[in-house]
Amino acid sequence: MNIYIQGMGCVSPQQTAAEGPFLAEIREYEGNRLKVLDPDYKQWIPDANTMRRMGRVVKMGIGAAKLSLQHAGIEMPDAIITGTAYGCLADTGVFLTRMIQGQESALSPTPFIQSTHNTVSGQIALLLGCHAYNSTFVHKGFSFESALLDSIMMLREKPAQQILIGGVDEITDHSHTILSRFGLYKQEPVRNTTLLQSGTKGTIAGEGAAFFVLGTAKGAVKLTGLDTLYKPASQQEVSSAIQGFLATHRLSTADIDLLITGRNGNAGEDDAYTQLTQTLFPQTATAAFKHLCGEYPTASAFAMWMGAQIIQQQQAPAGVLYSGTAPQQLNRILIYNQYQGTHHALILLEKA
Amino acid sequence: MADLKAQIIEQLNLQEVKPEDIGNDQPLFKEGLGLDSIDALELIVLLQQHYGIRIANPEQGPEIFQSVRTMATYITAQQKQPG
Repeated sequence: MNIYIQGMGCVSPQQTAAEGPFLAEIREYEGNRLKVLDPDYKQWIPDANTMRRMGRVVKMGIGAAKLSLQHAGIEMPDAIITGTAYGCLADTGVFLTRMIQGQESALSPTPFIQSTHNTVSGQIALLLGCHAYNSTFVHKGFSFESALLDSIMMLREKPAQQILIGGVDEITDHSHTILSRFGLYKQEPVRNTTLLQSGTKGTIAGEGAAFFVLGTAKGAVKLTGLDTLYKPASQQEVSSAIQGFLATHRLSTADIDLLITGRNGNAGEDDAYTQLTQTLFPQTATAAFKHLCGEYPTASAFAMWMGAQIIQQQQAPAGVLYSGTAPQQLNRILIYNQYQGTHHALILLEKA
Repeated sequence: MADLKAQIIEQLNLQEVKPEDIGNDQPLFKEGLGLDSIDALELIVLLQQHYGIRIANPEQGPEIFQSVRTMATYITAQQKQPG
């Protein structure tokens, strides 16, 4: 049984939510934080009272979800599954700050209600009037992959379904400050368009939402495989896992037309990608995506959106290519992403 | 009352509403500003956080939160009370 991407939508720091050519122009940013380009959310959330209570991450999720439903040509999915590591971080911050300021005496109801991780999935369901299966996976760098795995298993159990599944995370002033203290982000001036050539430690923070409608009726892009690898002991283990993953699908590294890696400009992490591509994929064109969306735990959802777009449109824009020349026919794309060296994920997409 | 209007706008995240857009006697709920029951809770929190006022009798709510003027009157009265 095949699983297809029937629709997709993305809200990101690039112009991905608006009509227009696919990543024809890469938006440039200075500094170590990329913010989502907010589309006009009123087109999807007409009620002003509902809208003003929603945090940015909820609106981002709804925007991407609605775009993917529109793309798939459906109004009501059979399930809604979301992956998020941070959840509604801004509302959590507001709720906790006000609780401290009020010495735990007065709890603001709106940010409290909106601060759960399941708010995005729940608000999508409320907006659609969808009473079907609704679940949110919160597993740090595997949040999106866990949601994807759940949707794959559901489709295998019951093929006649269309599942809305996505990954979403936001960065706030508080979280950016805290994560900066951990040394995640670059300290020196940085520009996203030259991030991957920086050669220094740290990366840039990002955020975004990418949603997909998955089903078994034929679509333009096939979701062929998904695998995760947690805390591999060595680079050799990663290489073996990739070869084993491809062998499961009766493929070899030479069958991959384009490799999308989670290269993020952090010298230490990028060395591992370089070593891997040189040994396993010496002839394969490679693309990157974190200079477009920044680093965040569910960034692989953006990568899947980008990979599916490349296959559907049969073109890899110049701004996403990292090395090599993309072939004329883009039939098979492997996404290999890792988050902070611990969470490694593989997603295989094919032209249907 | 201008300060109170600004506090209401901030507490309820009333996007695109300015203090001067809210009339002193304009009803806050339903056909007026269009607030609802969750907003009523937010207004109770606002009184506690900004003015240290706790509404002891919930049945007073509709009277207190009828308009910005009734809220201001209530706040002033509470502040004048000793202790």
